[in-house]
Amino acid sequence: MATVLVAIALGLSLLLHPYVSDAFIVFFLAAVMTVGWFGRSGPGLYSVALSTVAVDYYFILPHHDFSMNLEEVPYFLSFLLTAGCASWLASARKQAEEKQRVHFDKLFDQAPEAIMLVDSRDQVQRINDEFSRIFGYTSNEIVSGISLSFIVPPHLHDEAMAARKRLSQGESVSMETVRMRRNGSFVHVSEIAVPVSIDGERVSYYHIFRDITEDRRAAESLQRAHAELVHLSRVTTIGELVTSIAHEVNQPIAAIVTNGNAAGRWLAQHPPNLNEARDALGNIVRDAARAGDVIGRIRTLVQKGTPQLIPLDINEVIRGVLSLLDSEIRNSGVRVKTDLAELPDAIGDKVQLQQVMLNLILNAIDAMSATCRIPNILRIRSTRESGRIRVEVHDTGIGFTSGHADQMFDAFFTTKPEGIGMGLTISRSIIDAHGGHLWARPGDGGGATMNFTLPIADETADESNEAN
Amino acid sequence: MNPMKRTDPVVFVIDDDASVRTALKSLIRSVGLDVEAFASGQEFLQFARPDVPGCLVLDVRLPGMSGLDFQKELTKSEIHLPVIFITAHGDIPMSVRAMKAGAVEFLTKPFRDQDLLDAIQLSLDRDRMRRQQDSEVSELKDRFETLTSRERELLALVISGRPNKQIADAIGTSEVTVKVHRANLTRKMQAESLADLVRMAGKLNISPKS
Repeated sequence: MATVLVAIALGLSLLLHPYVSDAFIVFFLAAVMTVGWFGRSGPGLYSVALSTVAVDYYFILPHHDFSMNLEEVPYFLSFLLTAGCASWLASARKQAEEKQRVHFDKLFDQAPEAIMLVDSRDQVQRINDEFSRIFGYTSNEIVSGISLSFIVPPHLHDEAMAARKRLSQGESVSMETVRMRRNGSFVHVSEIAVPVSIDGERVSYYHIFRDITEDRRAAESLQRAHAELVHLSRVTTIGELVTSIAHEVNQPIAAIVTNGNAAGRWLAQHPPNLNEARDALGNIVRDAARAGDVIGRIRTLVQKGTPQLIPLDINEVIRGVLSLLDSEIRNSGVRVKTDLAELPDAIGDKVQLQQVMLNLILNAIDAMSATCRIPNILRIRSTRESGRIRVEVHDTGIGFTSGHADQMFDAFFTTKPEGIGMGLTISRSIIDAHGGHLWARPGDGGGATMNFTLPIADETADESNEAN
Repeated sequence: MNPMKRTDPVVFVIDDDASVRTALKSLIRSVGLDVEAFASGQEFLQFARPDVPGCLVLDVRLPGMSGLDFQKELTKSEIHLPVIFITAHGDIPMSVRAMKAGAVEFLTKPFRDQDLLDAIQLSLDRDRMRRQQDSEVSELKDRFETLTSRERELLALVISGRPNKQIADAIGTSEVTVKVHRANLTRKMQAESLADLVRMAGKLNISPKS
């Protein structure tokens, strides 16, 4: 190529030489630079040598001779120097650019994130190694294909199209979604897509993916553990409470029984020992009063636990408990429908109300898992009615017979094999302490509905809202 | 009343609950038994116990030390009172442990009065029998103490059933001397026959020498 270019330069120079005497310099330098650019330093030097010889022969006096006049030497040498420099500059520049390109390729291929470059017609132009690793496609399989058809699962096509639309409007898109591998399996990804514009025209889009399946799994198991912990602590707290009540009350009861027996024996003696019998009976009265005291103490203890009454958004409590029970709800296959009205703040203790919601929702899930109905629906509704807030938890579970409607709030009443029958009892005492009311009624069309009401935090504010 | 002069059996009650203590005292007294009640094991140990048959009604849950540990403590201190456990909520492993350690009965509160009184009666009978055996042995020991060393040596040989001639040969003396020692020995031990002597030696853990 070097020879051809130099020959072309020579031809053009000879053609123009009669009109412009120094035109040959321009042509030869162009040839030398071109060769230097494409052929790098080796062919560059060759073209410089070839040009030098041609220039000497054709354009340096005497013409058509390789010798030269002495006065022409500086002229010739300056040409030689210029040609050499031009060749070197061209090849060096080319080399630098080459190096930069290789560097960029490496950067692209070895980036820790999966990258897909897509042109404006949605054809894949390029992918990197991480992309191949995550999605299982090789470059050959995917390049020039339509990007959406490879990695977007069919059910998320609409979401991907919406993102595509935003991209074409020049927005960058960042989302967590699900993409599909070559083998059809799904992968949770965090995706960032950015449009690349040149002179205001969008030429391509970068899609950058990060595999977050592991993160997602860790977060889910954390949440599940949390929900289990809440459930467990609910059960053990009640269990411990029951055990300690049992022990505290059992002592005076044991004393009462023993005193009663003793009194009977004193009276059965001949003659009956009335003084001892009277003492024993007095002890019975004293022990019974003590048992009553124990119960009273526990009651004040429970009431002492209540008082964190502050204005709060009951919808927030409902949503919080639902997210806490997210994995339990999903595992049970129950569908949750919420209908939460715009509400003024209720007044209550957040933790205790959470406990009530937790109880009601877990009961509903338990009741529904006992049926084979599909789909089981848990409906949670919050409304405002006559100065109070009302929450309904409706399930499509086994429901209850009308005889159980009041009994179910009694302590130790349970229909569950592992239940201890304290959940609704405690829930009712919490709602009572809030100045509200908790009751049950059979659901329309099967199942059960649990209702509770709570006072509104600021009645006057509520009235002014209603006036508006 | 000086406790040392008592002869009637005494029931000891250890329970940290005052109501339960009072009720148990009344019940036990109503059947004509003496009773002493304590709030803790320490109190019981500090009490100067009369030398009469007795038994212990012990709550499993005691402040400081569990009833089961206290039972072990008693065995270590050579206090051999029979123990009846009472508990607010006994589980099976706990009752098994107690029975293995020699408890007479394990009752869950509230218990039937007759169950407790039966257990007390059984315990007192046992203790009476044990005390009788103990006193018999200590009396035999006293008698044994009065023997000379020659007589003690002779006792082991006599109870092996060997004739006087052989015994005399064994200890290198005359048959007459053996006869004299043997008569003294039998008299000192207050034995009525050779068989009686053998039984006494058995209680004193003396084995025949051949």
